[in-house]
Amino acid sequence: MTMTSLTRSGLSRRSLLAMLGAAPAAAALSGLLPAGSARAAGALNIYSWPDYFSQEDLDAWTKKSGITPNIATYNANEVMFAKLNSPAGSGYDIVIPSSGWIQQLAAKGLLQELDHSKVDLSALDPSLLNRDYDPGNKYSIPKDWGLLGVVYDPDVVGEIKTWQDFFDAGKKDGVSGKIRMTKSASETVGPALWIAGKDWNKATVEDIKGTADFLKDFAKHVRTFSGFDPAALASGEIVLAQANQSAARGALLQNPKLKWVVPGPKSEIWVDSYALAAKAPNLEEAYDFLNFFLSPEIQVKETEYLGYPAAIAGLKDKLSPDTKAKDMIFGGTDVNFENLTSYIVNPDTVDAYQDVQNQVQAAAGV
Amino acid sequence: MSFRLATIAQDGADGVRAAGPARRPRRRGRVSDHLFAAVPSLWLFIFFIAPLGFTVAYSFGHSSFGTVTLGFSLDNYATALSGFYAQSFLRTLQFAATGCALCLAVAYPTAYFIARQAGRARNLALILVLVPYFTSFLIRVMSWQILLARSGPIETVLRALHLTDAPLDIMDTQTAVFIGMVYAYLPIAIVPLVIVLQRIPQSLVEAARDLGASPWRTFWHVVLPLSRPGIATTVLLTGVPMLGELVIPSLLGGERGVLIGQAISSQYLNSQNYSLGSAMAVLVLLAVAIIVALLARLTRGFAEAA
Amino acid sequence: MSAPGVASAGQRAGRAALAVWYVLVLLFLFMPIATSIAYAFNEGSLNRQTAAFTGWTVRWFAAAWANVTLRNAVVTSLTVSFWAALISVVIGSALGFALVRHPSRRVRLFLTGLTYVLLIVPETVVGVSLLLFYAVTGLPLGMATLVAGITPLAISVTALIVRAGVVTLDRRIEEAAADLGANRRQTLWFVVLPHLLPAVLAGALMSYVFAFDNLVISSFLTTPQINTLPVYLYGSLQYGPSPAVYAAAASVLVLTILLVGLAGLFYRLALRRGARSPA
Repeated sequence: MTMTSLTRSGLSRRSLLAMLGAAPAAAALSGLLPAGSARAAGALNIYSWPDYFSQEDLDAWTKKSGITPNIATYNANEVMFAKLNSPAGSGYDIVIPSSGWIQQLAAKGLLQELDHSKVDLSALDPSLLNRDYDPGNKYSIPKDWGLLGVVYDPDVVGEIKTWQDFFDAGKKDGVSGKIRMTKSASETVGPALWIAGKDWNKATVEDIKGTADFLKDFAKHVRTFSGFDPAALASGEIVLAQANQSAARGALLQNPKLKWVVPGPKSEIWVDSYALAAKAPNLEEAYDFLNFFLSPEIQVKETEYLGYPAAIAGLKDKLSPDTKAKDMIFGGTDVNFENLTSYIVNPDTVDAYQDVQNQVQAAAGV
Repeated sequence: MSFRLATIAQDGADGVRAAGPARRPRRRGRVSDHLFAAVPSLWLFIFFIAPLGFTVAYSFGHSSFGTVTLGFSLDNYATALSGFYAQSFLRTLQFAATGCALCLAVAYPTAYFIARQAGRARNLALILVLVPYFTSFLIRVMSWQILLARSGPIETVLRALHLTDAPLDIMDTQTAVFIGMVYAYLPIAIVPLVIVLQRIPQSLVEAARDLGASPWRTFWHVVLPLSRPGIATTVLLTGVPMLGELVIPSLLGGERGVLIGQAISSQYLNSQNYSLGSAMAVLVLLAVAIIVALLARLTRGFAEAA
Repeated sequence: MSAPGVASAGQRAGRAALAVWYVLVLLFLFMPIATSIAYAFNEGSLNRQTAAFTGWTVRWFAAAWANVTLRNAVVTSLTVSFWAALISVVIGSALGFALVRHPSRRVRLFLTGLTYVLLIVPETVVGVSLLLFYAVTGLPLGMATLVAGITPLAISVTALIVRAGVVTLDRRIEEAAADLGANRRQTLWFVVLPHLLPAVLAGALMSYVFAFDNLVISSFLTTPQINTLPVYLYGSLQYGPSPAVYAAAASVLVLTILLVGLAGLFYRLALRRGARSPA
């Protein structure tokens, strides 16, 4: 935009100056406000998904420790990885990668091993510990977990039990053009691999590229790859959507006739985990924060705020009885955890996954 | 994002005038002259040219998951020019051309109205169009998500007026994307047009009318040809940034279709393939430079420097 | 055929159509802004913004204030924009002056080329390049590196605006000042700068707006302490933003309008006083 063109077009110098005066004034004022209280004695820098802690619990920790944590946010593991793998990644203490990224972050030397004498994991659910993506929890502590499932309107879509049902239903009139899929390459390609009886962590580049034609053909039925919007399902704009159980719960609460399923033969469980950055400058504070947030009381509060189940053992019984749609926080009552698998990023196949995703999204365009 | 190009526009619109004032260069520069040239050059070299050099160097290297080995290979360029990405680029050109045309179509009558106002009214009319620039761009785009959604405000109003009973079906379509694009770039498209249109002497228009030309013929044969530099400038100002646009399609278009801006950031972020991303970026840079040079020639934007 | 100044029915219809069009365009431009303010008061559902208006509340303003991350992002954005505008206006004005007045034509051509290249480089490229550059040079990232990264584009915008001002500047005024015994520094400060002030301030404002809205470059250069509002907003879109971010945006908007009004008032007062005092 051109301000001089304004003056030229005859705008008086005075009114222009009046408008201009505001900018420096606003900024100068902002300089007077406290710019983050991080430069106090103690500090803690967290790199997290947006809005991933309840403010109330953060305030409680601040009260206890005297430290207001700086929380920077990312919207994808890929972004977090790229950032940590660059000079912009130094200075973070706690990061919250999803399960699949922990190996690669560790392999790049971006995480440090946990000192298990400083943090107590004994109260956590044993089934979330010592998993294949991080044997012995060398680098990570589970924060909360989620499932890849499908939320749908049974009146329009019919019954869905498997991923094959998902792809078949999507082609129907009334469903086609009202589908939401994820932007995550593994969660797009994964279902196609599972239908073919393949393991997404062992699939070769050929296996992955082999799904492209099938998925591209399906892409024309897809409405959006953007973030999951519960309101769109409530209003009928979307009738069939890939989602995690917490997002689905939001939609079910708005529109009770919707159904949620974790399709067979296989689906995903991801575990977002606390990890410590290799060069974390504030280790003491980081451990103190972790211990505080791993305490049963806070785990319960966080679960109720976020809608994702925290990692504490016996969590369901600890939640307040009037929690809405409580079972949905855990993905419903009939999930077979034997059939769930966690994606692990592999540098040899990551390009292939993303390539298919790009092609699918391109094919969905007009 | 878009307004940085606005200034090119202005040059275009005023190219002739810029050549006007007599220039009497002295042989010896004063200290201040050298300082004024050296300080910006140094700053821009450190924070712009040098970093750009890294991108060019990386584009010839080899990248594996976030680590780059320097070398000289054209493999990345071959990949960047092959099937899928070349298609994305063509699609992006088409996308920018459409967005640009729509913007021009909405902007021209608006600018014509503003240019025909007198004095204070004209300033006010122009300022009103520019005010939206002073609120956060992302919030405005997010508001479109609300406006266009089912059971959102627009649907509610349409239903209340009994204009439609069907649910609004616009979000995550091309229509929504182009509404967003026109919205974001409209003020910047209007400004150069106003500048040019207001300089067309009213006497010319009246002369044409006196000679018996209908308003339409007057517009077609007098006003439109005279406003050509402004049109070219608007095309430049809106078209070039649209080539790199990625926020609006992803927020309003459901991320369907892959534009080159999205493809580049997906190479950098999702595939951690910095070399391929760099090669694609260098190619886009070259393409944009060519387009800008052509348009600048058209608008005589560089007249003053030559 | 009509006499000059007398509008035919067709012309009147044409004018009316243009006026209607203009009003529609204004409606189009202001609708999202009105929406963003109204929805700062929307109840929403499960802490998320909804398209359907679910009820009035003012609690999001309190929530926005209590959200330290969001509040810091706003303050960081304001601070970054201030410094970016300040640096850009100083360097950009110098560049704009040199673009017209440097004695060597070759230098002028070089500077012009540099200024245009700045404008056409896609922002993703700028962001990644800077990140690579900071990685290799080992510069620690922070407020300064983010500001420095945003400035090049803002500098070129400022330079082109100021150049347009310099082009119309009459050299004879400077010569007269020199004849009256002013040295070069005095001439620039007391004669040239006041003439260029509108252009310089316009450059500052545009740099400020550009820095405040910048998403792409910033998203590469933010650090734990330095997180800007657009980066926060964009991140929050993945799972639906909280109405609190609308409340924050509405507050910033109101603050800006208040400051613009105040600045305008002071300027008018200063101008009136200036007019009364003997020159």
